[in-house]
Amino acid sequence: MNQNKQGVIKRILSIRGMGGALTAFAGLIVIYIAFGIINPKVFAGQNVMNLLRSMSKYLIIGIGQSYVLITGNIDLSIGSVVGMSAMISATLMCLGVNPVLAVLITLACCMVVGVINGFLVGKCKLPPFIATLGTMFVARGIAYMVNGNRNTDAIASGIGKEGGDTFQNVFYYGKTLGIYNTFWIAILLFVIFFFLLSKTRTGRHIYAIGSNVEAAKLSGVNVVATTTKTYLVSAFCSFVVGLILCGQAGMGNMEAGNMYEMYAVAAGVIGGISPLGGTGLLLGTLAGASVWQTLENGLNMIGAQVGIQRLVIGIIVVFAVLLDVVFRKGVFGKRRSA
Amino acid sequence: MKMNEVIVSMENIVKTFPGVKALDHVRFELRSGEVMALLGENGAGKSTLMKILSGVYTRDGGTMSIFGKEYGDLTPKMAQEAGVAIIHQELNMCRHLSVTENMFLGREKRNGIILSNREMENEARKILEELKIDLDPGQVVGELPVSKQQMVEIAKALSTNARILIMDEPTSALTAREIEDLFRIIRDLKSKGCGIVYISHRLEELEHIVDRVTVMRDGQYITTMNFADTTLDEIIANMVGREIKEKFPRVECKKGKKILEVRGLNAGRMVRDVSFDLYEGEIVGFAGLMGAGRTETTRAIFGVDPKESGQILLNGQEVQIRKPSDAIRAGIVLAPEDRKKDGLCTKLSIRQNIALPNLDLLCDKAGVVSRRKETEMCDQAVKNLKIKTPNVEINADNLSGGNQQKVVVGKWLARDSKVVIFDEPTRGIDVAAKVEIYNLMNMLKAEGIGVMFVSSEMPEVMGIADRIIVMCDGRITGELMASEATQNEILTLATRFEKKIADKETVGGGES
Repeated sequence: MNQNKQGVIKRILSIRGMGGALTAFAGLIVIYIAFGIINPKVFAGQNVMNLLRSMSKYLIIGIGQSYVLITGNIDLSIGSVVGMSAMISATLMCLGVNPVLAVLITLACCMVVGVINGFLVGKCKLPPFIATLGTMFVARGIAYMVNGNRNTDAIASGIGKEGGDTFQNVFYYGKTLGIYNTFWIAILLFVIFFFLLSKTRTGRHIYAIGSNVEAAKLSGVNVVATTTKTYLVSAFCSFVVGLILCGQAGMGNMEAGNMYEMYAVAAGVIGGISPLGGTGLLLGTLAGASVWQTLENGLNMIGAQVGIQRLVIGIIVVFAVLLDVVFRKGVFGKRRSA
Repeated sequence: MKMNEVIVSMENIVKTFPGVKALDHVRFELRSGEVMALLGENGAGKSTLMKILSGVYTRDGGTMSIFGKEYGDLTPKMAQEAGVAIIHQELNMCRHLSVTENMFLGREKRNGIILSNREMENEARKILEELKIDLDPGQVVGELPVSKQQMVEIAKALSTNARILIMDEPTSALTAREIEDLFRIIRDLKSKGCGIVYISHRLEELEHIVDRVTVMRDGQYITTMNFADTTLDEIIANMVGREIKEKFPRVECKKGKKILEVRGLNAGRMVRDVSFDLYEGEIVGFAGLMGAGRTETTRAIFGVDPKESGQILLNGQEVQIRKPSDAIRAGIVLAPEDRKKDGLCTKLSIRQNIALPNLDLLCDKAGVVSRRKETEMCDQAVKNLKIKTPNVEINADNLSGGNQQKVVVGKWLARDSKVVIFDEPTRGIDVAAKVEIYNLMNMLKAEGIGVMFVSSEMPEVMGIADRIIVMCDGRITGELMASEATQNEILTLATRFEKKIADKETVGGGES
C-alpha cells in the first residue's frame, strides 16, 4: 500500500513541467499565509470568494496564452479580443438583440481574430510577436468602433432589467453551490482544456511544435492547423473573459481587457510554462493565476499602493523565468562531447 | 516480400532551388532486399533526391514509382503510408518529449480521441527490445546523449513498418559499438526484404553492408555499380570526377620549440588532470570514443568552460584564460565541433564572420570599422584558404561544409594565432573537402603554428597527426607516435576506463 503510494507520487513528480507548477503552488501557499498573518481578513470567507472570482479571469486568459506559449509563440491580441468581446456583446444587447444570439455573434467575431492570427503565424510564417501586435491594434480599434467610439449604455436598456440581471448573474454576480459562477466557468474551461492538452493528439502536437517545429513537420504533424488551433483556443478564452467583464460592468467598456495579454503571459510563466515552448502544464497556469491574484489581493488588503503592487509582481515574473532558465540549464545544459 | 524486385524507380527527376539546379534529370532505382549506397560529395544532390522520395520536397519534373505505383506530389505522411521512412542527417527530435512520444509523433495511437499512452509505450518498448537498443521508452529525449538520440531516430523510422528505409549519414554520431548494432539491424531488415538507401561519407563502412552503389555528382546521376565489382578508388574517382592522389596528405616538418604546455588541467568530470605539450611544426591528434572528454578539454583550454585548476603556458609564459577573449588575445583559438551552431553566425556574410573576432584590429580609435581593412582581410583569407564563394557578401549559411570550415579557420588566421585547436573539423564533409582541410592543417603546421586536432575517425587521426594523445573518460590514457601507432593500440587506450564497479553506468554509456 505504502509502496503503491510512493509509486504514484513518483509518477506525478516525473510528469514534465510538474516541477514549475508545484513550485508555483508552494509559492502560492507561502504568499497567502504571509498575507494572512499580516492581515487575517485575507482568510475571511468573502475575501476568499472575491479572490476566486478575480482569479478566474486570469486563469481563463492564462489558459489561452499557455496554449500559444507552449508552441513557442505568443498572442498579444488577447486583451483586445477581450475588449472586442465585451463591446460587441454589450452593443448588440443594447440594441435589444437576444442575449444568446448576441453571444453567438460575438463568438464568431472573436474566432475570426483567432483564425487570422493562426493564418499569419502558421501559414505566412510571420513572427508571432509582430503578427499578433497587428491584430492587437486592429481588434482594439474594432472595440472602439463598434459603438461609435464610446462605451455602451447599460445592457438592461436594450434587453430589459430582467434580461440584464440574468446576464450579469450568469457571468459574474450569481452563485452556484455557494461559489461565484465566474469560478465555475473558469474551472469548466480548465478541465476541458487540460484534457485536450494532455490527452489528445492535438495536445501532443502542440508540445511537439514548441519543442522542434522541423521534427514535427517531418513526422507528418500539420503545423499550420495545430498552430491555428492554439490561436483559436486563445481567442475563445478571450471571448469568455469579455463576456465576464461585460457581466461585471453591465455595459461595454472600450478599454476592457487592457493589458490582459501580458497578465496572461505572467500567469503562465509564473506557473512554469516556458515562453520558449515545449514544456509547461495548465496546472501551472492555474497556480500562476492564483499567485498573481493572491498577490494583488493581499497587497490591497495590507494597503499597498498600486505602484508597489506592480513592482512586486514584476519582480515575481522575472524571478519565475529565472527559475525556468536555471532549471533548463540543469536538465538540458549538459554538453555534447567527443 | 519478394527479393531483388524493383521497389523504387525514379526517372528524370528535376529539382531547382532559387539559383541552383539541385537535381538534373536524375535516375535512381532500389530493389527489395538490398542496401544501396548513395554516394557523392556534399552538394551532389543525394539528400535532395531522398527528400523527394520521402515527401519533404516536391519535384519539379520526372516520374517516381514506389512498389510499382506511380506517385505525384508526396507529403511526408503519404510517403510514410507508402512504406518510406527516412532518418535525416540532422537530428530531428523533440527534445522535450519522451522516446515513445517521439517515436509515435504524427501517428499517435488513440482510443476514441484519447491518446493510448500505455499501448504506445508498450509497443515502443517492444521495438527497442527487438533492436536491442537499451533505452527506457519513457525517458525524455533531450536528456539522452546524441548517439542514443540517433538510435531513437532509427527506432522511430523502423516503427512505421517501413519497407523502404533511407539513412542519411546515420553513423556520424554513433560510437563503434552502436555502429555495429546498426549494421546488424540493417542486415536483419535486408533479409526481410526491405530496401535500404544508405548515404554516408565514410566510405570504409560500405564494405560491411552495401550491395550496390549509385554515384551522383553536381546534381547529376553518374553511375550505378555492384559494390563487389568496383573499388573504393573507382568510387571516389566517380564522385569527384578526378582522382584524389592522397587521402591523407602529409608534410614533414622539423619539430621546433615547445609552444603550448598544459599542466594538470581539471574542469568538471570530463577533464581530469590533463597535461600535454604541443610543439612547433607538429599536429597533435586527440583520439578517443565519444564522450571521452576531448571536446571538454578544448573548451576548457579556450576558456569557454571554467577550469578548476591547472596551468596553461604559451611559449614558456603562463597565460590566464578565464574567457574566450583571453585565449584569443593570447593566440589560442578554437574551430569548434558544430560549425553552424558554435563556429559561425550563419545569417551574417562571410565578411562579417571573418571580421567578427578581429574587430579590435579593424576599428579606428572611435570604434568605427574600417571597411577598407575589413575587405583586405577577407580577400586575403579567401585567397589563402581557397574559399570557394562568388563573393564575400553571401551568407555563411550558403557555403558547403568544407568552405564553412575554412571561414571558421580564416577568421582566426587573420590575426596572429599561435595555436589552432580543431574539434572534429571534417565531420559531415565530403572526401575532396576533407583533403582540403588536411592541407590546411598541414599549411598551419608548416608555418610553425601548433595544431591540436580532435577526431573520432581513427584513420584520419593516424593519417594526419604526428603524435596521438588518447583520452578516455576525461583522462589522458596514453600517447603514441603516429608512425608507430596501430588502431588496436589506440582502441585499447580509448577504452581504458577506470575500474570501478559502482561506476558501471559511465562505462556503459561512455558519453554524457
